Amino acid sequence: MRILLEHFSKSFGAVKVIEDMTLEIKDGEMLALLGPSGCGKSTTLFAICGIHRVTSGRILFGDRDVTNVPSQERNVGVVFQSYALYPHMTVADNIAFPLRIRKMPEAEVKRQVEEIAGLVHIEGLLGRRPAELSGGQQQRVALARALVRRPNVLLLDEPLANLDAKLRLEMRSEIRRIQLETGITAILVTHDQVEAMSMCDRIAIMNAGEIIQIATPQEMYRNPRTAFVAGFLGNPPIAFIEAEARDGSLAVKNADIRLPVPKNATVPPDGTPVIIGIRPESLGTEGDATIRGRVSFIETQGRENLYDITLENGSVLRSIQRVRDDIALDDVVEWKVRSDDIFLFAENGERL
Amino acid sequence: MNASRDIAESARTPIGVRAAQSRLHLGWLSSSKGLGILFLLPAVVLVVLFFLMPVALTGVFAFTNMTTATGITGGAYQVSPGTLRVLTDRYGMGELAERLGQPTYVVDEQGLAALEEKGIDKNIIDSLRDGLLGKTYASRRELERDIRGLPDRPNTRTVKSISEEFSRSLANARFSSRESLIAAAEAIDPDLTDEEKEALAASTYTGWTWTTENFRRLASSPTTRQVLFNTLFFVAMTLVIFNTGYAMVLAIATHYIPDRPAGIFRIIWFLPRISPVVIYVLLWKWLAWDTGFLSAFLSNFGVRPRNWMLDTATNAWFFVIVINGFVGASMGMVIFASAIKAIPESLFHAASVDGAYRWQQIRHIILPQLKWPILFVTCYQTLSLLTSIDQTLLATNGGPGGATEVWSLWIYHTALNNYAGNLQYGMGAAMALVLVVIGIVLSLIYLRLFNYNALVAKPRIEL
Repeated sequence: MRILLEHFSKSFGAVKVIEDMTLEIKDGEMLALLGPSGCGKSTTLFAICGIHRVTSGRILFGDRDVTNVPSQERNVGVVFQSYALYPHMTVADNIAFPLRIRKMPEAEVKRQVEEIAGLVHIEGLLGRRPAELSGGQQQRVALARALVRRPNVLLLDEPLANLDAKLRLEMRSEIRRIQLETGITAILVTHDQVEAMSMCDRIAIMNAGEIIQIATPQEMYRNPRTAFVAGFLGNPPIAFIEAEARDGSLAVKNADIRLPVPKNATVPPDGTPVIIGIRPESLGTEGDATIRGRVSFIETQGRENLYDITLENGSVLRSIQRVRDDIALDDVVEWKVRSDDIFLFAENGERL
Repeated sequence: MNASRDIAESARTPIGVRAAQSRLHLGWLSSSKGLGILFLLPAVVLVVLFFLMPVALTGVFAFTNMTTATGITGGAYQVSPGTLRVLTDRYGMGELAERLGQPTYVVDEQGLAALEEKGIDKNIIDSLRDGLLGKTYASRRELERDIRGLPDRPNTRTVKSISEEFSRSLANARFSSRESLIAAAEAIDPDLTDEEKEALAASTYTGWTWTTENFRRLASSPTTRQVLFNTLFFVAMTLVIFNTGYAMVLAIATHYIPDRPAGIFRIIWFLPRISPVVIYVLLWKWLAWDTGFLSAFLSNFGVRPRNWMLDTATNAWFFVIVINGFVGASMGMVIFASAIKAIPESLFHAASVDGAYRWQQIRHIILPQLKWPILFVTCYQTLSLLTSIDQTLLATNGGPGGATEVWSLWIYHTALNNYAGNLQYGMGAAMALVLVVIGIVLSLIYLRLFNYNALVAKPRIEL
């Protein structure tokens, strides 16, 4: 089902958390609300499921205006960060709860619980209590409970935050598989860009209560609208250096480095201070411009090494390359930059 | 540097040696075991003095017939029409009682010596000794007739005074020891059997004795059954309606309203608990008096003023339960409220989106998770209600006509404050012992049923 937030605002007392947000989630799409802590992404989620009343604006499920509909009647499935399983009920009772509350016949409840348990692979755990489950199993139960009512929309609030690294990887693909199999509209709230990029069709990146950019993960990575977006996506993260436009090219501040203006940017007038963003994979052995610096740190990642190089003005750039034996700490290197892959931002962070 | 350290160490050595010696003397003090006992000692003394001793003494007194009349120290041997009746009724020695109760006159050396002391004429005494010594008379008249028949006939006044000295009746006599009682009895009837002596001593003794009579009386008295029923009724109603039921309503209600009004609301319900009992109950009495608020208000509608609290047994019960309940509800409210607060908020959010409205949240989320607090409050309040006395004493004092007399109040009325003025300490102690036993049995059942260890081991609510 299509979900639409129209001019949605939410404030708690005098504190405005979200102001005039408009967001559309397409039918069957999985959208990530990505942003740092306190950016308002969970508030948005709670407004969609009806736990928070909106201060102004409208929320539409399909064509139905649910702005003033209580959460009990919105038919949304939510997976909470803590899973919020009912500790005194068995797994089967937990999953059956939304159905029993709707007074569904017991035979039908049983059938649907078994069906959904099969979907999330917890058939063997139905008789246990939440305390007897591992984190990943609790996660699956929470997912089953959210899905069993065939909700209009599935809301996931930092669902992977409480899992260890390996389980997180496994559940990432599991949640995506289940979402694709059921074809349900889903919203994932997360502060982890890897989760957002790997699981979702589109990402809405938020900062300070505003949506900065909505795009597919690929598009957002390739074409960030602001320095904030560029800085948030990518691991290891992008590095920024200050520069100035001079004679149609970019002169790095306090350093004897010149970079051409990338094709994706308009050439700024001379003397304009700019910020150059260089992703670690854009700096290395290939490219049309040269950057000179001293290797100040080498981080071994197994297949690749991450090199920090410090420029003569003190700025630090990162480069990720396959493991090289010819580079040692404190070596002075001249590495190439693919100028078309660098990003140019104005001083206020807007893309040029 | 090194040198100075050496000096310091050599100087320290003798101290170390001394310390070792003193450790030898008070070795047990340096072990944690010894110190532990030492530190515990004051507490142990207090526990024994103020907790164990009263319980033990209650147990002891329960097997005595102590009353105000017997006193708590020893007594004397008092022959009275009452004790002779006891001798007849309880021991079946009617004949003996009659004999001892009869006025009897014996002319003996003891009487003659008393006469000498009185300054009676020596000749008269001599002729008494010669003529009448050893004779026994059933009545004073017979003795006096014989005295008048003596050679030196005394005048009538002297005859009276002489006969008085030979009166050997036990009736209304008081003896300080068993021996003097038996001696006096043997003077009347030298052929007393040991059994008869025993019965006489037992029936005339005025001090307390050991007995199991208290329990026999408790078991057979119809009042026991009535008071027991009253107690059960009182405990069950107060517990179910107020201490758990109303406490739960308050806790849940305050959970769903904003923090500040909820806090004020809770404090209001705490007032009965924190206000002095006497003032609290006086307010209720004022409310219910025939010139109080209720009567004054209802008289506007033509209702006859009356003491609403003591008007009927039903009214008295209503007030007793409400007065006790309002005090007890606050504890349950606090425990339930904090237990509800401990339920993660996300569970309520989850229940909301799962379609559960408030009533369903209470039924499916809150109540199942409050199982342990509910059991705890039930156990605790049963025991405290069983022994609760102050509010009921002040409000109805068991009235009207014993309708609201509960067990603890009955003990008070029997042992410490009864209408007749003869306080039955022994009986009261027996009743108290029964209450203690009921309490212990209930506690054991509760601890076993509800698995106390699990109750205190770890929080039931998982985060």
